[in-house]
Amino acid sequence: MTTAKTRTIKVDYLARVEGEGALYIKLKGDQVRDVKLKIFEPPRLFEAFLRGRHFSEVADITARICGICPIAYQMSAIHAVERALGVKIDPAVRKLRRLFYCGEWIESHALHVFMLHAPDFLGYPDAIQMARDHRAVVEQGLRLKKAGNHIVKVMGGREIHPVSAAVGGFYKTPTKSELRELGEELKWALDASVATAKLVAGFDFPDFEQDYVFVSLSHPDEYPFNEGRIVSSRGRDIDVSQYEEYFIEKHVQHSNALHSLLRDGGSYMVGPLARFNLNFDKLPEVAKQVARDCGLKVPCRNPFRSIIVRAVELVFACHEALQLIAEYEPPASPRVEALPRVATGQAATEAPRGLLYHRYGLDENGLIVSAKIVPPTSQNQKRIEDDLWHFVGQVATRPEDEITWKCEQAIRNYDPCISCATHFLKLHVERE
Amino acid sequence: MQPRIIGCGNPDRGDDAAGVLVARRLRTLGIEAEEQSGESFSLMDAWQGCETVIVVDALCSDHAPGEVKTWDACANPLPKTALQCSTHAFGLYEAVELARTLDRLPDKLLIYGIEGKEFAPGTRPSIEVERAVELVAQQIAEFVQANDVERQGVS
Repeated sequence: MTTAKTRTIKVDYLARVEGEGALYIKLKGDQVRDVKLKIFEPPRLFEAFLRGRHFSEVADITARICGICPIAYQMSAIHAVERALGVKIDPAVRKLRRLFYCGEWIESHALHVFMLHAPDFLGYPDAIQMARDHRAVVEQGLRLKKAGNHIVKVMGGREIHPVSAAVGGFYKTPTKSELRELGEELKWALDASVATAKLVAGFDFPDFEQDYVFVSLSHPDEYPFNEGRIVSSRGRDIDVSQYEEYFIEKHVQHSNALHSLLRDGGSYMVGPLARFNLNFDKLPEVAKQVARDCGLKVPCRNPFRSIIVRAVELVFACHEALQLIAEYEPPASPRVEALPRVATGQAATEAPRGLLYHRYGLDENGLIVSAKIVPPTSQNQKRIEDDLWHFVGQVATRPEDEITWKCEQAIRNYDPCISCATHFLKLHVERE
Repeated sequence: MQPRIIGCGNPDRGDDAAGVLVARRLRTLGIEAEEQSGESFSLMDAWQGCETVIVVDALCSDHAPGEVKTWDACANPLPKTALQCSTHAFGLYEAVELARTLDRLPDKLLIYGIEGKEFAPGTRPSIEVERAVELVAQQIAEFVQANDVERQGVS
């Protein structure tokens, strides 16, 4: 009888993810003994320093949580405050918020699909090396990202940490001609997104599926952005205000980001794959057809195929943006007034990386007395570890550097944003 | 035309603020200089169509804190390890090398790197870096003035 050797694989600093984290894997022979996704970026304490601030400051403070998805933070925060204060927004403002979100999805998905994830499938260490052989692909990605940035700039006043979103609406809304100017480039972006989906659908994908619990927003008439009920692939269907009854956060020693779990046990997945599987019927026909043409079926349980789903969501976001621009009528007033009262409000919106939950308690002067923010990467963290527990076994006989690369790829399926979750990645594999 | 000057960094992460502090110091000397986080695509956009660009950023290598390095980015590839202080997936190194591959570099791109030692959130820049900030600001000011004189002489 031979004794299986224990090996440890460490990635001390994960590449092509946002923020600072590491990965530790312990193997005995080919059996996985431990997996830890270590998030060591320090806590940023946003929930604490929101306390004592006026609700009108919430959009500008939370926008600073993330340079890639500030709109998601603004939208979840604003909606939570509006729910607390009973604010009813103008329908035209609601449509503008959807357009704002389209911009963020386009820039964030284009960045991940082309610059962070595609090099994994095309066999390059990074987008710079990839650009030497696939210049047109990288150029297309940059142009798509810019199309998204332009929407954000027109809607938010600037591309990073936009400043126009406010409780009750916007500080300033765009003119029809300002939005019309976005149209030509978005028509190109829609065609480019269709081509992107077909390109990435041709990549080789590992044969890896898991029995995921998918969680996302669901709206009766729309692919979800800003509102809806929280639904799961296990039949859960709850109002956003019930989120904390069904989802819990747990501190684990190896991570500065809290792990989110289902209250009745186990991990779950938020993000593009969850949204797509739970809301396919709400996609416009053009996006549905692209998904079918790319061989995507509902439910898609292979996380590596999430790159195709992101491309399908690019198609959706470009199509939706064009439609919103074509129908745009400026609101009578950019925003409605919100009056302070003692109340608590919860909201969840769909950040590019998945469900983003906020809760605020307000006092009679409109000051924040409590705040809770649960980012998508925090919710996916346990699920990423669970994926690795199962995935590492498939590649455990390969050389160490290949195991490392495959594991990083498995993590990038989630487009984790560590800066938001606390906030990414060094790999450490230990073999006994 | 004055060179476009960009100071990169996070003013709330100790020595990572080096580039931003140089930009601020240059403005007090009456020289236009902007601040950026160091995110690649914004940098590539910022220097598009420019003739001469100067970028200042913090370095994170094994050199002494406050040590200043300069590179002519159009002439040679940048050293990858020293210029990856950013927690962003794409920083200054990626901006320069991607731009080089895609023929999007300005005609002249000078990089000033200031070696840091402390990058923790909420910390102040080290004394060594503060001294280096003043030195780099003076060097850039002299470069701008010399270019100005040269240009006026020509016209």
